[in-house]
Amino acid sequence: MRSSRSPLLLAVASASRRIRGHARQLVLAAAAALALVAVSTAPAAAYAPVGVVHTERVQAGPYAITVGFSEWPLRAMQSLDFTFAPADGVAGKSGTLTLDGPGLDADDRESPLGRHPRKRDVWGLDVQALPEPGTFSFTFDIDGPAGHGRGTLRNVGVLDQPGPPLAISWTVCAIPPVGMLAYLAVGWRRNKPSEKVATLI
Amino acid sequence: MSTALPITGTGTPSQPSPAVRISRAGRTGPIAANTVLAGTTMSLFGLSWDIQWHVDVGPDTFFTLSHLMLYSGSALAGLASLAMVLIATAAQRAGQPVDRFPGGKPVRVFGGVFRAPLGYLITGTGAALFLLFGLLDLWWHSLYGFDAVLDSPPHIGLFLSISFSMVGSVIVFAAARDTRWGRAGVILSIPVLIIFSPITTKAFGALPLPVEPELVGNILFSTLLLITGTLTIGRRGTALTTAATLGVLQLLLWWFSPWAARVYADASGLPLRDNLGDNPPELPSEIPVFMLFAAAAITALLWLSRRRGWSGRIAPQIMGAGGGAVVGLSLPIQSALFGDSGPDPAELLTMTAVGPATGALAGYLAARLAVLLREHSTASLTKGR
Repeated sequence: MRSSRSPLLLAVASASRRIRGHARQLVLAAAAALALVAVSTAPAAAYAPVGVVHTERVQAGPYAITVGFSEWPLRAMQSLDFTFAPADGVAGKSGTLTLDGPGLDADDRESPLGRHPRKRDVWGLDVQALPEPGTFSFTFDIDGPAGHGRGTLRNVGVLDQPGPPLAISWTVCAIPPVGMLAYLAVGWRRNKPSEKVATLI
Repeated sequence: MSTALPITGTGTPSQPSPAVRISRAGRTGPIAANTVLAGTTMSLFGLSWDIQWHVDVGPDTFFTLSHLMLYSGSALAGLASLAMVLIATAAQRAGQPVDRFPGGKPVRVFGGVFRAPLGYLITGTGAALFLLFGLLDLWWHSLYGFDAVLDSPPHIGLFLSISFSMVGSVIVFAAARDTRWGRAGVILSIPVLIIFSPITTKAFGALPLPVEPELVGNILFSTLLLITGTLTIGRRGTALTTAATLGVLQLLLWWFSPWAARVYADASGLPLRDNLGDNPPELPSEIPVFMLFAAAAITALLWLSRRRGWSGRIAPQIMGAGGGAVVGLSLPIQSALFGDSGPDPAELLTMTAVGPATGALAGYLAARLAVLLREHSTASLTKGR
């Protein structure tokens, strides 16, 4: 048994000798990565409540609406929560929200007002990103016991996106696919598949 | 440089080590390959579930079940690949020939420290990259908050990583194409990749292009992969069988994604969003539904090519143009079927040109990829199993 395992053991010993110099760094890097995951994910394990840090008021005909923002000032591409609270509640009312601003898709411009998934007593938008910096407006068309009302919250400023410029992020994320393509290109050059396709059919 | 070590036995016949025995066992190939496929399929279902969760329910954390399914799929594929690389390395170090080891031609890694069958090397690299992009994604969320957009740079990196793992599984099965399980694996793993690979084209969504990159991606990948599979296996019915498998996967995802989102919402005590309407499931409705027609066109053109004796230098491009034309025209019709408005005539006109052109390119690439895949056969080891 001992002799039969020896080639494998020798192989493992040889391999481990070759990487021993890097082992300490590898362990430290793995520990750091795990610690980073643990620290970063601890607050992410529960559904976060909707925090309103800034409000604005809009008068849509007979309805006074308080618009709540989860971040202020707003930044492009940020995950945002918006709350829209009529003064006397959402019961018996319905309506649409029309967003206007730079970079919005046609699909995102108009939507029926629905309750916020994590704050069910008011209308809202959750994990909504405004795509580009600039000036946005929120128009409310509301039908309720007091009839129809329309009002617009104008000049909502959105600053540049947080973090490094997008070009840098995209470049970093493009390294693996570019590496894969380079690997494919090397295999392609070595095997010259174009010379062998004639017999493929 | 040879990395085989001398055997220091006493001259009596010795029992092979566990790694050598596993490497010789006939079941090792199919078990490892199907484990990788199970992992990549889990990732696909996890992603479709997660997207549907965002549409139907909303609240999000790093540890939702759909996220865990997505991560587990990559982990499973990665661990199976790692095991196969270690087994191949140990077998080679024990003096066993590994040229025909399951999973494709063995490649020297880190200067010969490891011997990695090509398919498992690609799958494992994809899984390792998934971990790195996962860390990058955590940092991204710390800056931007939770999943507001699908096409952020780290997300695209994660999708690419999973796609690499899926490409690896196609290589693994293609290497065993002389076996029934190898051919079945090609026919199963290609539809998984057809569904998943166009997602990464969302990275180009913000660019002012004349045609939506996702449409081009759908035509390119579906046509390319159908023809690659057909020419790799070399059987006439492969394209149709693969397209039928894609249809079955689409139906399964169509049922699973909203079902899982709703059951999980119930279990978590979360309500569904207001005003959901009757929109079709998000990811499944983007999978081309008329692929059987495209496969029929490809099969007919392959038959014609063989009958007329057309060269392999030109026939794949013709097959690609035919298949691409069908997929290209079918996509606007499909989105009209699932949406509220009829197909836009201008878009149909554009797709009439884009479909065959993209398809011809797909055919050109597919033939060459099929040549590369066929060269990695492990026929002598797996034949008859």
